[in-house]
Amino acid sequence: MSETQAFFRETAERVLADSVSERDAEAAESRKLPEALFAALEETGILSMMAPADVGGVDASLADTAAILQAAGAAAAPGPLLETLLGRSLLARSGAEAAAGPLTLVFWPEADGPLPGDRLWPQPPVLHDVPWGGLVERLLIIAPSARGVRIIASQPAAWTIEPGADAAGEPRDRLSAANLPVQVTEIADAGFDELCRTAAVMRAAQLVGALEWCFHRSAEYVMERKQFGRELGKFQAVQQMLAELADNALAAAAITDAAAASPSRALVASARSRIADAADAAITIAHQVHGAIGFSREYALNHRTRRLMAWRDDYGSVHHWRRGLAEEFVGLTRDAFWPAVADAGLSQPA
Amino acid sequence: MTSASSLRLELPSLPAAAEDLRREVRAFVDEERATGRLPPPRRVGLGFCPDTTRRIAERGWIGLTWPKPYGGQARSALERYVVTEELLAAALPVGAHWVADRQSGPVILRFGNEEQKREYLPRIARGECFFCIGMSEPQAGSDLAALTSSAAKVAGGWRINGRKIWTTNAHRVHYIIALVRTSPGDGARHAGFSQLIVDLKAPGVSVSPIIGMHGDHDFNEVLFEDVFVPDEALIGAEGNGWNQVSAELAFERSGPERWLSSFRLICELVDVLGADAQPSSLEALGRLLSHLLTLRQLSMSVASMIQQGRPPNLEAAIVKDLGTKFEQEVVRVVRDITSAENLTADGRGERLKALLIHGQLWAPAFTIRGGANEILRGIIAKGIGLR
Repeated sequence: MSETQAFFRETAERVLADSVSERDAEAAESRKLPEALFAALEETGILSMMAPADVGGVDASLADTAAILQAAGAAAAPGPLLETLLGRSLLARSGAEAAAGPLTLVFWPEADGPLPGDRLWPQPPVLHDVPWGGLVERLLIIAPSARGVRIIASQPAAWTIEPGADAAGEPRDRLSAANLPVQVTEIADAGFDELCRTAAVMRAAQLVGALEWCFHRSAEYVMERKQFGRELGKFQAVQQMLAELADNALAAAAITDAAAASPSRALVASARSRIADAADAAITIAHQVHGAIGFSREYALNHRTRRLMAWRDDYGSVHHWRRGLAEEFVGLTRDAFWPAVADAGLSQPA
Repeated sequence: MTSASSLRLELPSLPAAAEDLRREVRAFVDEERATGRLPPPRRVGLGFCPDTTRRIAERGWIGLTWPKPYGGQARSALERYVVTEELLAAALPVGAHWVADRQSGPVILRFGNEEQKREYLPRIARGECFFCIGMSEPQAGSDLAALTSSAAKVAGGWRINGRKIWTTNAHRVHYIIALVRTSPGDGARHAGFSQLIVDLKAPGVSVSPIIGMHGDHDFNEVLFEDVFVPDEALIGAEGNGWNQVSAELAFERSGPERWLSSFRLICELVDVLGADAQPSSLEALGRLLSHLLTLRQLSMSVASMIQQGRPPNLEAAIVKDLGTKFEQEVVRVVRDITSAENLTADGRGERLKALLIHGQLWAPAFTIRGGANEILRGIIAKGIGLR
């Protein structure tokens, strides 16, 4: 972690410690936005950090933003944090009016739909699983355009909202509409796939934060809890499980750091695929070593493990990333394969 | 003791020189292939070929990180990492010099005296002098400290008696570094061990083969009967053997050989698998590739730690635990895709078929050699504060 990233992470940890609690995760399950958290993040400038400096951001790199999101994942911070960070930077880059407060976004890989200048979208698609869709002021649909990327902004109030939730209990709503008022802007120097990868890395960072929390808490817990007259952590069977969890935590963090520093197709796909296995291991092992207490709603573990379940297939399913990674390399000759995969997997020095 | 919260690796950054070196190694590999000296392998495992070793030595790629006075090139651990992964991925038969370059040489460099460095290192770097590892014994496998081979002090040297086992290539290399008991240790389990360099041609040394279940002769048993070695054979201080071996094992555990052993199976699979493969096959392959790139990232980060002089014992144990399990998984997944896609039916995919059989036969050894994974996980548990 670079000095800047360590600084961002520490700042985020401080803000999170003061403004978010396990109660916020519970409140999110009753569709309540964590207002204190978003106010504190607004005040420190974190919510706009990815936006260009001339419009109030600090032009933070993906790696810097990932450092913040790791802290947020570790804290099980609810709310459309990723969406607000990315959405604000996209609005700013496209020259659209800035949005206050949290917003949400979805990726829509189609070339049709409204173009810059259009005011109305007669038949927008039905949107599924929109994070906090009915509870924010602004919804951005990110779509490709001939020149780059379109940002199709609308008010959730103009959509029909059917509330839903993910495994963590956070809102994921179904939105449908007809004759939707929209404001369409464009970013010429951005690619749709590149933005999908950016979102995928941001989600990866949250997953890594939650995963590392599971590892650290489990390593502490097994030294606190005694059975048969000694700490659980003194049993070899438990030590072997914790070692496997350490393996997975280190692997997930290492490949995510690489993807955040250099978000190539191969590294992002690798990160999202590898984290999925690490998340499965973390869920299984953290719960197993915690025993019954970890299963209770009251104990903090479930807020992390349920987010691992909810997040692993966001912004590109695990299947999508794995298949895409394979397709980059199948058909190469036996001797061309290593150079191709090795060069694609190398993060570029910053 | 490291606490769980500090378990984090830094992002490695390869110097530009390392990428130049990578191009040189790839050109060398192309040349070996063009001249027919490197046919696509039909077997898993490090081939043993002194001629190849000498050609690699001529390029200066053995002892790459060692100081120039000892025949090295004074280059960084990350550059060595690049050479290592390129040679292994291409399946160059590097077995002759591998142990000397990876661990025997570094142990001599770190703990040996000036005479030993001048005696052995330049010859290793020239590809003329090969080593094997003398650690395991019939009654001391995972429990290495239970070893009973001993060296008694005699005038002008040491007299060694005992037995070493699973010594890869002992029948075709020049020296063994034997870990032996040189004093009772006074009850402290890890005290009283020392490392001695023994010429495998010395009177009293006998080497007998152990044929593996894959049918190959890689392993041996080495018997020492009243073998005399001079005082100059002792590496480091008498009694410091355990510390030296721990350092040596960290070199052994984090390199690409701990996750590339079955890599050629993926190469053969990709060669015959088209983009029209079933989605489930592509997904399984993509998953393997993501583990491969992750292991590589970890391995590069550990090379950075070594370069910075930080002891990577915990991290190296993690890389080997993950890497060797991956090597076994490669065999299973490639087998399953081969079967699902019908790639070796009716006489097709003949090389893939041969490699798969040999890979399956080798696979059980991946998670045993160089420290069984249960032992590695014990090291990890200690590193994260559980013991």
